[in-house]
Amino acid sequence: MSLITNLEALLEEEGVIFLAYGGLFTQALIAGMTEALEQKSEEADIPVGISNKLFVIFIELSQNLMHYTKQKVFDPLNLIYVLKQSDHYSVCSQNSITKEEKEILEPKLLPLKDASKDEIKQLYKVARKNGRNAHEKGGGLGFLEIAKKSDELEYVFEPKKDGTYHFKLCAKLKI
Amino acid sequence: MENLKIEASKYTPLITMDIQKGEIEIRGKSYPENTFEFYKPVLEWIENYHNTSNPSLTLNLEIIYFNSSSSKLFYDLFDLLEENSDAFKPVINWIYDEENESALESGEEFMEDFEDLNINLVEKSGQTAS
Repeated sequence: MSLITNLEALLEEEGVIFLAYGGLFTQALIAGMTEALEQKSEEADIPVGISNKLFVIFIELSQNLMHYTKQKVFDPLNLIYVLKQSDHYSVCSQNSITKEEKEILEPKLLPLKDASKDEIKQLYKVARKNGRNAHEKGGGLGFLEIAKKSDELEYVFEPKKDGTYHFKLCAKLKI
Repeated sequence: MENLKIEASKYTPLITMDIQKGEIEIRGKSYPENTFEFYKPVLEWIENYHNTSNPSLTLNLEIIYFNSSSSKLFYDLFDLLEENSDAFKPVINWIYDEENESALESGEEFMEDFEDLNINLVEKSGQTAS
């Protein structure tokens, strides 16, 4: 299935697409998209407390894609989108990763799936405290930030024929 | 050591550092591409603050929203101020818009993490300038 039909199907089945982007990620693009999200949120009268969480989730996922895909060949399947469904917003991202990358990501995500708000807050505090200047890339604190700002986290690693994985993550935020 | 000013961009805050006033102001959004590089001058400025005759340092932080690496950076910044508590007598004003509950939450969490630091939560009414 092509990307376009995929998005069209999403639009029909899932709700209103606020924003969708695929391909190369740069800081300027992320800032532009965040600005567009700000405008959309204002038009939709989303309370500031919720919209700011939405922006942070969007930024975390986009910057993850930017850092993660920097040294790699361009992959049009790198995708981010924001959906508005009946009672919540979803920010989703997807990209291709290797088996080794999956083995790094999965243990970071696993404890977040069923953790309570309070458990996430504690995990976040510990991760943030760890070592001055330890600005690691690869989603340690980033995933915790997303879990902290959202109400539900879903992810899947879909195996591909060539041994790599299609990594999809959605963070839901109740309106 | 000099006063320093960094203009705001779409993804980085306005920063002013004033020796005479003994004041640092950081205001806006924060999600730089390389957070540590971006804030390096601020950390260095604070590390050199010993060389001034000013007995106190006030940090006014008004961040609308910020990414996780900025969160980490602010943690390190507070840590640095705590280490120099005796010399700088630092006061941190965490300024947030009354409608921005996630900014309030972040301020409260910093207070929990830095019990010995003098952190004030300052609520601002009305629209936050962006």
